[in-house]
Amino acid sequence: MKNFIANLDYFFKEAKRIIFLNKLSNIFTFLGAVLILLILATVVTGWSISSRLVRMLEEEAEISAFFHEDMDENEVFALAEDLDKLDGVWNVRVVDESEAYERMEEILANDAGILELFDDNPFKAYIEIRIDPGQIDSIVETVKDYKDIDYVRDNRGVLESINDIIKGIKTVGTLIILAVSITTIIIISHMIRQGIYNNREQIKTLGFLGASRMFIGFPFICVGLLITVIAGVLASLVMMLIIHNGYLAMGGSIPFIPLPPKGNLVTGVTLVIMGVSIILGMAGSLFGLSSIKEH
Amino acid sequence: MIEAKEVSLRYRDGTLALNNINLTIGEGEIVYITGPSGSGKTSLLKLILGMELPTSGTVKVMGKQISGEKTEELRSLRKKIGPVFQELKLVPGRSAMENVMMGIRFLDFSRQEIKKNAADALEKVGLSHKAHSMVENLSWGEAQRVSIARAIARNPGLILADEPTGNLDHDNAINILNILTSFRQKNTSVVVATHATHLIENQKNITIIRMNQGNISIEKRGDEA
Ligand SMILES: Nc1ncnc2c1ncn2[C@@H]1O[C@H](COP(=O)(O)OP(=O)(O)OP(=O)(O)O)[C@@H](O)[C@H]1O
Ligand SMILES: [Mg+2]
Repeated sequence: MKNFIANLDYFFKEAKRIIFLNKLSNIFTFLGAVLILLILATVVTGWSISSRLVRMLEEEAEISAFFHEDMDENEVFALAEDLDKLDGVWNVRVVDESEAYERMEEILANDAGILELFDDNPFKAYIEIRIDPGQIDSIVETVKDYKDIDYVRDNRGVLESINDIIKGIKTVGTLIILAVSITTIIIISHMIRQGIYNNREQIKTLGFLGASRMFIGFPFICVGLLITVIAGVLASLVMMLIIHNGYLAMGGSIPFIPLPPKGNLVTGVTLVIMGVSIILGMAGSLFGLSSIKEH
Repeated sequence: MIEAKEVSLRYRDGTLALNNINLTIGEGEIVYITGPSGSGKTSLLKLILGMELPTSGTVKVMGKQISGEKTEELRSLRKKIGPVFQELKLVPGRSAMENVMMGIRFLDFSRQEIKKNAADALEKVGLSHKAHSMVENLSWGEAQRVSIARAIARNPGLILADEPTGNLDHDNAINILNILTSFRQKNTSVVVATHATHLIENQKNITIIRMNQGNISIEKRGDEA
């Protein structure tokens, strides 16, 4: 450790030399890393926006259970309490006839006049059940089996497509992250290998003098880290700009897409990108270093 | 310090560079290896440093047997050896000073010790004034002295010098041999391969290994020579 610290400036100088020894190819490696990390940043941004969207949609996941008309209020509330205890049920609310009527009025808005054609309130009371959309099948089956429940209305189609969207986003995101990781590791390790090849005589000599692989390899690890970390910083800055402009452009014009707070999004994306660049730089360098042979 | 038993070295192209050699070198011993070009001097030194492995027989250095597997052991052994390579193996693009420092950076020295040891070693070989010159701009004789400085800066227990005086004028050559042999006082063994037999004619208390086509004959010269 003592001699690690004694040599910090040496490692740094060597790293600089390795980078400048093959300037052009290293510049392209760097630009490649920036672009790849930018793709990653885009995916992470998209992921966090869409997962927020999905979470909000999930909160909307509900089914309506209609019960026998001859039940009295207490029986209805007892039934609701029962339903609330079911696995996968988040909460339960009794919607009485007048509330059902008001809701329909809201939905119809300007056309609400049509409701006046009815003498009586045509709507029935029901129990609104918010649920985990992943468990919709089993919940609907269970609720249907209650003897006091006449029928259940579910918007299964919508819920199923929400589930598909979640799965799709996860799959595509995972694939892209995998692709980005593999590509970054390969280009960094390739660059390190090239550096090792260019410095092979020096590496051999240091070996004959008794230097450890760690001592010989550390400047190369610095190079890999330096490239990916700076690329990460640049990619984060570009992403920040994109997010900033994106928020300006959207400016609330698409209210049903609930954007997360800008500050949180930027911090989150930056943290992920920087963390990933450090890990990938490390992994790429170590992978490249494995080509240094003993003797 | 060094023990070679029935050692042969045959290169991949079939050249038999060392032919069944037996050899023991003790602590503080000064050994000169002489012999015509191609007789196997460098090959013998390479075996001792573990740069080549014997085709048959065993080589032990400082109690450790040289083998292909024990890389960590070989590394710690190499840290105690000060090698001067025939082709110098300096690192281009760096100053003389940085070359010497580079050779001892991974030893157990502090930052100050690295600098001081390197500067002292360069001073010993008479190159303080070239400390900051790039090694590729030095004359061969100067570069040779940088590589000697690199070898002695680590305070080695064993010095292996291949033709360290090859390109030096008489005075400088004598000076270098004096520096190398002075390590005897620290119980360091010194093995020097050289064509310059005239320089060792008058030396006492030395061992001379004469090589010819991979064979050796050993002469121990005492006080009275
Ligand atoms: N890597 C190698 N592969 C094949 N043959 C080699 C190799 N290295 C040396 N030789 C051969 O082994 C023999 C001994 O070579 P070595 O370098 O040990 O001689 P030397 O005594 O050091 O010569 P010089 O005085 O010219 O330095 C020579 O015939 C040489 O050609
Ligand atoms: Mg030789």
